[in-house]
Amino acid sequence: MLELKPMLSALWRNKVPALLIALQLALTLAIISNTVVIVKDRIAKIERPTGIAVEEIIAINVMAIPNNYDMIGAVSSDLELLRKLPFVKDATITNQVPLSRSGSAGTFYTQPNQEVGGEVSNRYNTDPNFINTLGLKLVAGRNFTNAEMQYFDPSEIRDINVAVITQQFADKIYPDQDPIGKPLYDGNTSHPIEIIGVIERHLGAWVDWSKAGNVAFFPIVRNTQDVNYLVRAEPGKRDDVLKTLVDKLSERDPQRVIKTRVLSEYVARSYAGDNLMVKVLSIVAATLSFIVALGIVGLTIFWINQRAKQIGVRRALGASRSNISRYFLIENSLIAVTGIALGSAAALIVNQYMVRDYSQPVLTLLPLLICALLVLVVSLAAALAPALRAANISPATATRSV
Amino acid sequence: MIGYYISLALRSLRRTPTLSALMVAAIAVGVGASMTVLTLNYMMSQNALEHKDDVLFAVQLDSWDVNEAANTTNEIPWQLTYRDAQALLRSDIPTHQVAMHRYGFTVELEESAIRPYTADIRVTTRDFFNLFDIPFIYGGTWEKTADSSPMQVVILSKATNEKLFSGEDSVGETVILNSQPFTVIGVIDTWEPSPKVYDVNNGSFTKVESLFVPFGLHRKLEIYSWGNTNGWDSGEGEGYEGFLQSESVWIQYWVELTNKEQKTEYENFLTAYIQGQKDQGRFERPLKFALSKPSEWLVLNEVLSDDNRVLGWVSLAFLLVCVINAVALLLAKFLRKAPEAGVRRALGASRNAIFTQHLIESSTIGILGGIAGILLAFMGISGIRYLAMGQQDTVARMDWVMVIAAIGLALIASLLAGLYPAWRISRTNPSIYLKTQ
Repeated sequence: MLELKPMLSALWRNKVPALLIALQLALTLAIISNTVVIVKDRIAKIERPTGIAVEEIIAINVMAIPNNYDMIGAVSSDLELLRKLPFVKDATITNQVPLSRSGSAGTFYTQPNQEVGGEVSNRYNTDPNFINTLGLKLVAGRNFTNAEMQYFDPSEIRDINVAVITQQFADKIYPDQDPIGKPLYDGNTSHPIEIIGVIERHLGAWVDWSKAGNVAFFPIVRNTQDVNYLVRAEPGKRDDVLKTLVDKLSERDPQRVIKTRVLSEYVARSYAGDNLMVKVLSIVAATLSFIVALGIVGLTIFWINQRAKQIGVRRALGASRSNISRYFLIENSLIAVTGIALGSAAALIVNQYMVRDYSQPVLTLLPLLICALLVLVVSLAAALAPALRAANISPATATRSV
Repeated sequence: MIGYYISLALRSLRRTPTLSALMVAAIAVGVGASMTVLTLNYMMSQNALEHKDDVLFAVQLDSWDVNEAANTTNEIPWQLTYRDAQALLRSDIPTHQVAMHRYGFTVELEESAIRPYTADIRVTTRDFFNLFDIPFIYGGTWEKTADSSPMQVVILSKATNEKLFSGEDSVGETVILNSQPFTVIGVIDTWEPSPKVYDVNNGSFTKVESLFVPFGLHRKLEIYSWGNTNGWDSGEGEGYEGFLQSESVWIQYWVELTNKEQKTEYENFLTAYIQGQKDQGRFERPLKFALSKPSEWLVLNEVLSDDNRVLGWVSLAFLLVCVINAVALLLAKFLRKAPEAGVRRALGASRNAIFTQHLIESSTIGILGGIAGILLAFMGISGIRYLAMGQQDTVARMDWVMVIAAIGLALIASLLAGLYPAWRISRTNPSIYLKTQ
């Protein structure tokens, strides 16, 4: 510690390069700590459980060519055909493809004829096979029966009698109560829909929605121009099933345009934006650390070359090799700590703007500390080789030219 | 002299290959990363209607729930109800006005080898093509009567005309849409605004629809929207008519108002209309509407997302670190050559000459870094196209403006980086270095 005073005065004489390193470290820390929390947040979002057997499901869109096509008749024949195909576990009809960013929602109330205080939920019109097809888990109550199915025209208003909802939606609309048997009111209506079953988890149609996971299923098919089927294949057999689907359905009735897409592709597309943030920010953070490390190596080498004579003199006056190495490492740490102090402050200030203006996650102390430690390690590792090399400067060469 | 300085610079770069490569790489990576992101943000901030920015307006009316404002940036629903759109269409104040929405049909031809397929359709009033300045190759838009009564006519995009009629003049031909015969009355030229400013409801970077049909067909074909339909009042009537008369919003509305008087007149008209609806028990919220220029519309709809802005700032900060890095390395490099500069000064070179020489050396590094940076940016942009899974193809591309901007950015970055080191070495005292020789 006796070295501290001469060290500080040496740093003062070389303040510009030292300041440049400290500034780089500060900016690096500010950038990395903020990107780390964003990346962590996005990865958590992408890896959220969906409740769905995503890898085994194929989505089919069937659009009728004739204008007054009997879609309801076609649906039962199609589903019967799909369920009998080899390697198909089950098939269902739905008004929307899960996790596809396109779907339907409504506001539900616990009392009749309300206009305020409802809870918004994603709504599925489907049939009793949806639980098995999507791979959902019924945790309370029962599924629909085929007898409860209702068939409507597109904008026909008819009362719905039963619903299965997700646990999350149940907890929101009936907190701390058993939802089974309780009523739901669809918007400002007076007809109760009985909750008959609860599903453990289902993320719904929109991955970016703040209420993703609020889902209600109704036993309805509407006679629309186009419908969606979901087909679940045996594990590993999805792509084999996919090949035959369009032909089989067209063979049964050529009066339709049929499109297929595996569910995993819908999911990848829905998360493409988050995935892009994760990849780009990770690459930026990694490249940044690397470039800053190279910069520190370059500057320390230059610095040592410049002070070769002083090192030689110190060595001649009895300083050991480890004294010299230690000197440069401590000097580097001093610079790094200054940079980290500046950087931590900058990181927290930047994060306030990120949270306020760009709705990004809050930077807490722990990730900041971890990033600070990382920056310190990178900085010391970069200085290590040049510092060891400095110790090898022999007193003789260094003092020769004086 | 400049030629000599450039050759000096290149020689000096070759003398310290590692350090030079490091500096070029730092500038290249900084420029590459920031140009990738800035290109994306620049393309996303384009306004295809800029030439009519002062005369076009997106119309919003606050017909929403009295208990809760609409969930948009200006708390007015993005779209109109069908009945309000019909009422506004009756006004003759705007030079042009468009009510429209996205839809889909199956498409086939009689006696043709083309397999039936589904296509995105725009259901719109006739002014769509005039208002947005869309050029026709063949034919033109439909009669005004087709906006209110069903006429089975269709306008094709250039690509669709090529697919169905191999690019020939197809006016008068028949296309089968949802098994109904439609007569082709026009073919438009390629028109791909990106962002898709006229309808940003279903993604801002999706393709323009490939067929256009008149707004008078709704009742006949029971057309719903393939875009967003949002409602708040479930008390709608029975059947399709009930849907048309409901409070669901699903129609996009644009007007062209060529001067201030016309705009004021139209604002008065909207105020009177809402007032009249209030008297009938609708529009229970405070009287509010908005007329937004295309440029304002893009901002309101947050076409450039928060994530894009974050990436923009991160990449600029990244470039800043790279520049500081280059300052440090250039300082190291120049000061190592201080004896040379000392000799030149002693032989009569002015401080300015030394300064210029070193600034040219750092610009050389900047140009090399800039060129490498553009290559990196191209790689970065293809990386983004890949990661976005084709959803940003219309914006993830570089144009000449951005290539020139990249070189400019690299030059500015390296000049900024070289300024202090060059100044510093031009201040060296020649006597110190002469003494030690």
